[in-house]
Amino acid sequence: METLLQVQHLQKSFGDLRVLNDIDFEIHKGEVATLIGSSGSGKSTLLRCINLLEIPNGGQIIFKGKNILTDSIQVTSYRAKVGMVFQSFNLFNNLNVLENCMIGQIKVLKKSKEEAKAKAMKHLTEVGMQDFAKANSRRLSGGQKQRVAIARTLCMDPELILFDEPTSALDPEMVGDVLDVMKKLAANGMTMAVVTHEMQFAKEVSDRVIFMDQGVIAEQGTPEDLFDHPQHERTKQFLSRYANR
Amino acid sequence: MSIDFNFAWQTFTTSWPMFWYGIKVTLALAFVGTLVGLVIGLIIGAIRGLSVDPLDGKGVRVLKGLGHLITRLYIWIFRGTPMMVQAVFLYYLLRPVIGWTSLTAGMVIISINTGAYMAEIIRSGIQSIDVGQTEAAKSLGMTNTQTMMSIIFPQAIRNSFPSIGNQLIVNIKDSSMLNAIAVTELFFQTTSIAGSTMRYLEVYMIACIIYLILTTIASIILNAIEKHMSDDHQVSIKANV
Repeated sequence: METLLQVQHLQKSFGDLRVLNDIDFEIHKGEVATLIGSSGSGKSTLLRCINLLEIPNGGQIIFKGKNILTDSIQVTSYRAKVGMVFQSFNLFNNLNVLENCMIGQIKVLKKSKEEAKAKAMKHLTEVGMQDFAKANSRRLSGGQKQRVAIARTLCMDPELILFDEPTSALDPEMVGDVLDVMKKLAANGMTMAVVTHEMQFAKEVSDRVIFMDQGVIAEQGTPEDLFDHPQHERTKQFLSRYANR
Repeated sequence: MSIDFNFAWQTFTTSWPMFWYGIKVTLALAFVGTLVGLVIGLIIGAIRGLSVDPLDGKGVRVLKGLGHLITRLYIWIFRGTPMMVQAVFLYYLLRPVIGWTSLTAGMVIISINTGAYMAEIIRSGIQSIDVGQTEAAKSLGMTNTQTMMSIIFPQAIRNSFPSIGNQLIVNIKDSSMLNAIAVTELFFQTTSIAGSTMRYLEVYMIACIIYLILTTIASIILNAIEKHMSDDHQVSIKANV
């Protein structure tokens, strides 16, 4: 399988605090990788480094064979290929639902309005939000916002989508809708890296599970490896906390 | 000495053309000053809002640093000195160089003075916007300029509209200081009429009333716009999730 993204020896510190230490992993095309671990383990920072919202202090991020930290690559065009879905949705408050899905296409991909609109409607339909196209994005519920945010990302035709705890800010009854959309994407072959606390989702959907602890990858493998036969004491402890809930 | 209301009314009707001229100049100064000041404020606010990005090269960092320095200097000087003094100083400083009329000078000075205040208004408007908005725009691949123009400015202007509108009212009143360089605005006209009639109380009372009417109309209009902006003109949505 073609390797889409390789992360090698990645390091990130905030001042004296080392948040990521010697991170190594890769994601193949069409694969779903989930990152699990307790709060503060560095999962979200790792995801943000991949999209260059945080700049790593060391190591390499190789996307389709090119090192995005050193090779002269246009950051904006790289970001356009790597979508991001945020915990707090971050829909543009000054734009309605449809415009949220069109602006990236028009400004970054330089598409015509008609083209952008058609594509936006297609992806809004995919996430079940087509009836809300003209709605004020601030007036939606959390679950609706997140589905629009996913549609907004899909409109850019990304090769990889990063999900940063996409369901953590949602009421429990809305989590299912968002996870269903993500499962559908995974089934359609979208490459995804997902930071999540939804263990059931990680188990069902992932091809690879990465367990992070205190800024390092403590263990990674298939869901069967990690959930059924965890090797590390830390992994066992972490998973037992979820099993007991 | 008491106010002769009959005389005041007579003066008002006979001198109306002069007052009217002054009103037009005052309103022109206030509108131009507020609008150009807003544009200046947006530019300055954007420069001050630029954080030094670790991805920037050395040249860009130096430019950004220089930008911060110049804008801080500008705000410091123009907020820290009276507009009347700025007007007199700049008018006489530049008159031999560019030969400007006092009206042009007045327009320029009220604009750059307002710009210094607008810069602070816009900056706090930008700061009130959640950082997630910028991150989302970046994650789509938008450039800094695109993010500013399409996402941040529209929200910053909307958030700080009450303060921006307040500047218009301030400018209707403060344009009177430009009489110091003989701009024929309302206060300057009033002084001329007072000088020719020798009845100061009545004439300045008229000026007071006119200023009050102008600022009242302006604030009614601004309130209406503000209400319109906060009204939800979108389709109401049932929470069905």
